[in-house]
Amino acid sequence: MSMHTSHRRRFGVTSAGLLGLAVLAIVLPFGLNAGQLTTATFVLIAAIGALGLNVLTGYTGQISLGHAFFLAVGAYTAGVLGGNDHLTALIWLPAAGVVAALCGALVGPTALRLRGLYLAIVTIGLVFIGQHIWFNVPAISGGPGGRSFPAVAFGPFDFSAGQQLTIGGLVIDHNGLYYYLALIILAAAMLFVWNLVRGRPGRAMQAVRDREIAAAIMGVDLARTKMSAFVISSFLTGVSGALYASYLSFATPGQWSVLLSVQYVAAIIVGGIGTVWGALLGSIVIFALPAVLQSLIPQSSSGGLPIDDLTSIAYGVLIIVFFVLEPHGIVGLGRRVASLWSRIGLRPGKGGGLSQEAQSIENRSEATWAG
Amino acid sequence: MTPSTTPMLEVRDLALRFGSVTAFEDLTFDVGRGELFAVIGPNGAGKTSLFNVLSRAYVPTAGSVRFDGADLLRLRVSALAGAGVARTFQNLGLFGELTVLENVLIGRHHLMRSGTLRSGLWLGYARREERRHRAAAMEALEFAGIGRHAHVPTGTLPFGIQKRVEIARALAMEPKLMLLDEPVAGMSVAEREEITALVRRLHHERDLTLLLVEHDMGMVMRIAQRVLVLDFGRIIAIGTPAEVQRDERVIRAYLGEELEPALAEAPR
Repeated sequence: MSMHTSHRRRFGVTSAGLLGLAVLAIVLPFGLNAGQLTTATFVLIAAIGALGLNVLTGYTGQISLGHAFFLAVGAYTAGVLGGNDHLTALIWLPAAGVVAALCGALVGPTALRLRGLYLAIVTIGLVFIGQHIWFNVPAISGGPGGRSFPAVAFGPFDFSAGQQLTIGGLVIDHNGLYYYLALIILAAAMLFVWNLVRGRPGRAMQAVRDREIAAAIMGVDLARTKMSAFVISSFLTGVSGALYASYLSFATPGQWSVLLSVQYVAAIIVGGIGTVWGALLGSIVIFALPAVLQSLIPQSSSGGLPIDDLTSIAYGVLIIVFFVLEPHGIVGLGRRVASLWSRIGLRPGKGGGLSQEAQSIENRSEATWAG
Repeated sequence: MTPSTTPMLEVRDLALRFGSVTAFEDLTFDVGRGELFAVIGPNGAGKTSLFNVLSRAYVPTAGSVRFDGADLLRLRVSALAGAGVARTFQNLGLFGELTVLENVLIGRHHLMRSGTLRSGLWLGYARREERRHRAAAMEALEFAGIGRHAHVPTGTLPFGIQKRVEIARALAMEPKLMLLDEPVAGMSVAEREEITALVRRLHHERDLTLLLVEHDMGMVMRIAQRVLVLDFGRIIAIGTPAEVQRDERVIRAYLGEELEPALAEAPR
């Protein structure tokens, strides 16, 4: 009985924490200035893509540096359908995910033949092929000079710059609308991935990551598992790319470079490889970094180093530090703190520590929203 | 022939060569339904290679294998589990970052149906299926005596416990045939006794055919119903433990090795 209540309590603490986080995320825009809100919105949009990368690389172990390609595919799907053909965002936003997912399904089979660094190199190739297309097919990308992208607009909602929405006296501007849209999509995606990795398909992905042969002997279909990881990952990435371009409203082919892929890889390493929250936490660090550095260091006193170079150096340092010291990123750090905390809490020698582990199975699935 | 009289495993003229090196050849034997069958032999005799062929990790050079009446060599690796073959690994084939329970649930992957959408959206079907199979996985863990480790990351557990996780996972696969690759290798005497008892219970309490590869002669002679002895990739004897222990060629193959003391200690 007592172990039951302790489980309940932990579940309660977790739900309270989640509720607090949700409230914080909802009121946050009202506490930020326009520049900070823009940064926060970019972070949420990027986190959707980083979550996609974590499905592929973190959970399934397929190292990809092709993320910039899938972001671009999503962005240009939005550009063509929304900008050229004037379709509503209700169509171009999901379509961006679907088209990127189809590209993922085409690339997926290479992962059946190639592993580790070889797959990483092939996926870099994807970025170069993409850039070649983006620079040379103006009908899609506007050519080297770039193109504009449609603002999200559906029904009464218009996300164009200068527009605003008033709900019961609260004014939500263009930045705020994008912020909330990205927040909703990110939350849904996190919940989806969370369910996935706790269930049959996600276990298969992690088994493939840890030991391919053993996974196959357990009955896991390697081709199918890698394929679905590619499809889910590129869907989320395509949606993220479309939102990103739409929020930017203008992008050039040069933006979809390998450096962009590297930023996403850095985000999941810093946040936590193979974790749901790591995608968000890492995106906060990586994609808010330039803005934070800019505000901390006055341009004149940076010793002649442009902010861009400083952030590149910071990415490098962060990747090395986390790889060496905490391979599970910020989430790993959090788990350490949590286990330290619970060890302190449990010290007044209660028996039944073991039976608590054997605690019934339903409780477990709802117990920890910590990974 | 009715299915019930077909042997569980029929191996005919099986050979495996790597270039000019022969791992084994001319292997012909049957494993009966419900039998506890052991394959023994000195180091390098071809035991593990045979296992790798039976679990479709290696493609044999010649010969045939029929499992439960069907051609085993036509199955893809990932279809083996569904056909009813489970195996454990000598050097552990566990997924270290997953918990013990999750490892055992991977064993039930082929019995479950929820795909990406049903799991991701956490629909009723996926929830019910997950609950049912978690219960079955827990049951397998309890059978192996490691229920209390269910929620521990597998990689952090000692070797002896991890070996039990492997057996529990193979059991959770609900196989007809279980291949056990050196289940007591690298274990202390006490651990060996526990695993031996566990294998015996697997055989007695579950409707399983067991094929065991083992180095530990004492264990094999105590629990196996029939023993096949390999030496330099060929069968030199096959029969009951008592028959095999009297075989001239077996004694010669093991001379100076561990058989003689093992014979002395093995009860009749």
